[in-house]
Amino acid sequence: MTGVQDKTRLNHGIDLTSLDRVQAANRIENEQIALEVENLDLYYGAKHALHGVNMKIARNKVTAFIGPSGCGKSTLLRCFNRMNDLVDGCRVEGQLKLDGKNIYDRDVDIAMLRRRVGMVFQKPNPFPKSIYENVAYGLRLAGINKKRVIDETVEWALKGAALWDEVKDRLDDSALGLSGGQQQRLVIARAIAIHPDVILLDEPCSALDPISTLKVEELINELKHKYTIVIVTHNMQQAARVSDYTAFMYVGDLIEFGNTDQLFTKPSKKQTEDYITGRYG
Amino acid sequence: MSEASPSDPADRVSRSIVAGRGGYQPRYLKDLAAKLVVLVGGIGVIVALLLIFVYLVSEVAPLFQGAHFKARQSFAVPGDDSATLFVAAEEQGEVGLRVAASGELSFFDLFNGQLRDTQRLPIGERQVGEVIEIAPEKGTLAAGLSDGSVLMFQPEYKVSYPGDKRLITPGMTYPKGEAPIAFMDRAPMHLAVRESDDAMMMAGSDPEGGVSIKSFEVTTSIMGDASVTESPLQTFKPPLKPDILLLDPGMHWLYAIDKASGKVAFYRVNGDKPAELVEVVDSKGAVVGAHYLAGGISIVLAHTDGRISQWFPARHVDGEARGKTYLAHVRDFALKGGAKATSIGAEPRRRGFAVGDDQGRVSLFYATSGRLIHQQKMLDSAVRALAFNPRAQLLMALGDNGKIVAYDVDNEHPEVSVSALWSKVWYESYDEPLWLWQSSSASADFEPKFSMAPLALGTLKGAFYAMIFAVPLAILGAIFTANFMSPELRQVVKPSVEVLAALPSVILGFLAGLWLAPFVEDNLPGMFLALLLLPTSIPIFGYLWLRMPRALRLRVPQGWEAALLIPVILLVVWLCFVLAKPVEALVFGGNMQAFLDHTLGIGYDQRNALVVGIAMGVAVVPVIFSIAEDAIFSVPKHLSLGSLALGATPWQTLVGVVLPTASPGIFSAVMIGLGRAVGETMIVLMATGNTAVTNFSLFSGMRTLAANVAVEMPESEVGSTHFRLLFLSGLTLFVFTFLFNTVAELVRSRLRRKYSSL
Repeated sequence: MTGVQDKTRLNHGIDLTSLDRVQAANRIENEQIALEVENLDLYYGAKHALHGVNMKIARNKVTAFIGPSGCGKSTLLRCFNRMNDLVDGCRVEGQLKLDGKNIYDRDVDIAMLRRRVGMVFQKPNPFPKSIYENVAYGLRLAGINKKRVIDETVEWALKGAALWDEVKDRLDDSALGLSGGQQQRLVIARAIAIHPDVILLDEPCSALDPISTLKVEELINELKHKYTIVIVTHNMQQAARVSDYTAFMYVGDLIEFGNTDQLFTKPSKKQTEDYITGRYG
Repeated sequence: MSEASPSDPADRVSRSIVAGRGGYQPRYLKDLAAKLVVLVGGIGVIVALLLIFVYLVSEVAPLFQGAHFKARQSFAVPGDDSATLFVAAEEQGEVGLRVAASGELSFFDLFNGQLRDTQRLPIGERQVGEVIEIAPEKGTLAAGLSDGSVLMFQPEYKVSYPGDKRLITPGMTYPKGEAPIAFMDRAPMHLAVRESDDAMMMAGSDPEGGVSIKSFEVTTSIMGDASVTESPLQTFKPPLKPDILLLDPGMHWLYAIDKASGKVAFYRVNGDKPAELVEVVDSKGAVVGAHYLAGGISIVLAHTDGRISQWFPARHVDGEARGKTYLAHVRDFALKGGAKATSIGAEPRRRGFAVGDDQGRVSLFYATSGRLIHQQKMLDSAVRALAFNPRAQLLMALGDNGKIVAYDVDNEHPEVSVSALWSKVWYESYDEPLWLWQSSSASADFEPKFSMAPLALGTLKGAFYAMIFAVPLAILGAIFTANFMSPELRQVVKPSVEVLAALPSVILGFLAGLWLAPFVEDNLPGMFLALLLLPTSIPIFGYLWLRMPRALRLRVPQGWEAALLIPVILLVVWLCFVLAKPVEALVFGGNMQAFLDHTLGIGYDQRNALVVGIAMGVAVVPVIFSIAEDAIFSVPKHLSLGSLALGATPWQTLVGVVLPTASPGIFSAVMIGLGRAVGETMIVLMATGNTAVTNFSLFSGMRTLAANVAVEMPESEVGSTHFRLLFLSGLTLFVFTFLFNTVAELVRSRLRRKYSSL
C-alpha cells in the first residue's frame, strides 16, 4: 500500500496527522471493519459532548476506550446501540455505520439494532427473575418460544459466558442470589444469547472483586473470537491486558487511537502520555 | 501530629475506646432516648389497636352469651281451692295475678307467694270458664262466663314511693264496664277476643264443634258519645274439632286448632261478613297448646312430641297460586331429649316464647333467630302454665302440683344468632326467607331484622364498583406518569392527583349525592356512551397521532403527548352527551330507565352503585395512583436499560421487567385503595340511598357497614341488641380490613422476596 492511498483512507478514517499514527493505522487498515464512526457530534441540550469523532472498530477484536471521567467515552459507547436516545435532549450528528449502514438513519429499527449490538453495564443488572429466565428474556423478546430452542440456547450462552458449571443445578433460582461476578457473567450470557455482532462493555469490572475481574477478562478474551467487543474502562492495566486497539479520549475529543501495545508503550501525543503515566485522570 | 497546636480540633477528639469516657455521655443518652421514644411509639400503636379490638369484642360478646336464670322461692298457689285459670306477672316482676274459676282474683308477691290483695270479678253467680289474654302488652284479659257472656278486665298496678321505697298497689279495672257483654247463649268451650279503638271481635266454640263469631263496631259522634253496633252472631262449623281458637289483633284471621289431630283451620274473617275458610293445614302431630307471638302475626303450636312449629299467613311467591294467601309453616323448634310439651307462654314484647314439658323443665326459644336459648328445670311436676312479665325479665311457671315458681331471666339479646345474622331469615309478613336489615320501625311490636349480610354485601359492592372505576385509571395513569411522561409534566401531574386525596370525602359525597346522582339519572345513556367511547377514543387518537406528519409530531416535546388528550377527552365527552338523546331514542325507545325497568327488569334508583363507584373511585384514585406511581418510578433504571439494551421495546420492557419488579408496590397500592373503599363512610352515606339491598346491580343503591354505623348509632339505645350489633358492624369492618391487609402483606412479602430490588 502506498502513502497516498493511506492518506485518502485516513481522511474519512481517523484524524491522524503524525507519522506514528499512520503506523498505528496501518494495523487497523488490515482489519475487517465492524463499526465506523464518521464526524460524530453529540449534544446534551446545549452541551457539546462529543466533537467530531472519527474511528473504526475492528471486527472480532477488542477495542478499549480510556480516558478520565467525563471525557465522553461512555457516551460514545452508548452511541453504538443508540442508548443515548433515552436521554432527554440528546442529539447526534454525523454517521455511525454498522456494516456500512448508518444506524442513525430514519429507517433503522432500534430494537433490531440493539439485538445486533448488545450491551453490558457497569453494575450487574440481572432482572429479578430466575437465572434461566434472565438468559431466555432476550430470546422471548425476539419471538423465540420453543422450549427446546430456548433450553439449548440458555445452556450455550451460559457456557459461552463460562457460568454454566456454576449455575447448571440452580437455573430456576433467582439471579439475584448470584455473586457480583457471576451476575456480570450472567448479564454477558444474556447479551450473547441473542447472537449479537457487537458487544459493548461499559466498565464491566468496576463493581467486581479482582478474581471476578480476572474471570470476566478471560471471558472477554474468549468472546472476541466470535464477537466484536468494545470496552470502556478506567483501568489502564485492564485495557492493556484485554484490548487489541485503544482509544484515548479527553473532554469529548478522540485524542489518540491505535494499536494497544503501541499506544501504551509509545504514545504519540503528550496528553496520552500524561494520562497513561498517571499525571491526571 | 505531635506538632499540632492545643487548639487543633483533632486534639479534642477523645482517644479512649472505653464506653462512656471522654465526656461523650450525651451522645449515648440521645441514642437511648431516641430508641425509647421509637419503642414506646411502636408498642403504643400496637396496644392502641389491641385495645380497640378488645373494646369492640367486649361490646359484641354479650350478643352471643345465652340467658341466665335465677330462681326465686317456690310457693303454693295462693287463693281459694278452685281451678287456676290464668296467671300473670306485672311489669316490675314483683306482683303476680291468679284468676280462679270461682272468679277470685289473687294478687301475690312473686318473691314469697304472700297474698297482697284479693278481689272478685263482678260476675255474681256465674262461673268463669276460660280466661284469655286480649292485649298482652297492656295485660287486658277476657273471661268467658258460664252464661255465654264475656267480661273484660285489666289489672292495674299503681306505683308509689313512700319513704323512697317502691310500693306497687294492685287494682282491677274494667275497660268495657263491669257488666259482662252478651255473646253466646251458653258457655263458650274456648274463646278468642280482640279489640281495637273502634272495633271488637269475639269468637267462641261450642260443644257441638261449632264456632260463633260476633263483631262490635264503636262509632263515636262529634259530641264524643260512643255508640256500639253489634253484628248478629254468626255460627259455622269448621271441618275439625275447634279445641283452641286464636284471633289476630287486626281481626282478620281466625285459627281453629284441633288438638288431637293437629289440624289447623285457617279462616279469613271480616266484621259481620261470613268467615271464609282459607285452608286446613295439618301441623303433623297432636297439639297441646298454641299461642300468639308478640305483634300478633305468628302463632306457635306446641306438639306433644316435643316439637314446636311456627306459622303465619304468607302469600305464595311462585307457581299457579302466586299471590294467594296460605298458612306458612315457617320454622320448627324442638325440646331437648324429646320431652313432651305441656304448656306454652310467650313474651309480650318480643318474639320469645317458653315451652314447659312433662318433666318440669322450661325451654326458652326465640322465633326470629330460631334459637333454643336456655333450658331450665323449674318444677318437679309437669308445667301447666307459663307467664312472662311484660319486660320478659321474669318467667313464672305453674305446675301440676299446685306450685308456682318464678325465675329472674337475664336474656338481653335473644334476637341474635350466627345464622340469623348471616343467612336468610323468614321474617313475619314476608313471603319467603330474605336477608334484611331493618333495625327499627314506628310500631313498637315490630320484628327487628338484623341481618349483617346486606350490609357486608353492600360494603363489598360499593368497594367493588369503586375499584372497577379506580384501579385501571390509577394504575394506567401511574404507569404512564412514571414511565413515559416528561419530568416537568410529571412534577405537575403527580402532586395535582395527590391533592385530590386531600379533598374531604364529605364534599365528594355531597357532590355525588346532589349533583352527580341527578346528572347521571338525566344523562344515563350519555354516561354509558362516555364509559364506552372514552377508553376507546384514546388509543384511536394515539394511532391517528402516529400517522400524523412527522413535522407536526415533533412540535410536541417528548413526554407531553398526554396533554394533547385533554381536548380529545373534552370533545368525546361533549359528543357523548350530544349523541345520547338520539342513541336513547334509537336503542332504548326513548327512555333508558324505562327500558331497563320494563324490558330487562332492572330497577333504577337515583342513588346507585354507578354514582358511588364514580364518587368513591375518585376518592380512591389518588391513593392507588400515588403509591403505584412511586413503586413504578422506583424500579431501578439499570433494569429497564438492561432490557432495552437487549432489543426490547419500551412496552416490552414495561411488561417484562418494570411491572413485575414494581408489582409488590402496585399490589399494596390496590390493597390500600380497597381498604379505603371498604371503610369509606361519608360518600356512601350521602350517595347510596342507604337501602340495605342484597344485589349487585349497578343501578340500585346499597348500605355499607360503615354508613350503617354512622346512620344508626345516634338513634340506638345504649346496650341494646341494636347498639351491640352496630359494634359488631364495626368489628366486621375491622376484620375485613385486617383480612385484606394481612392477605396484602403476605402476597406483598412473597412478591417482594421474588422481585427484591437491586
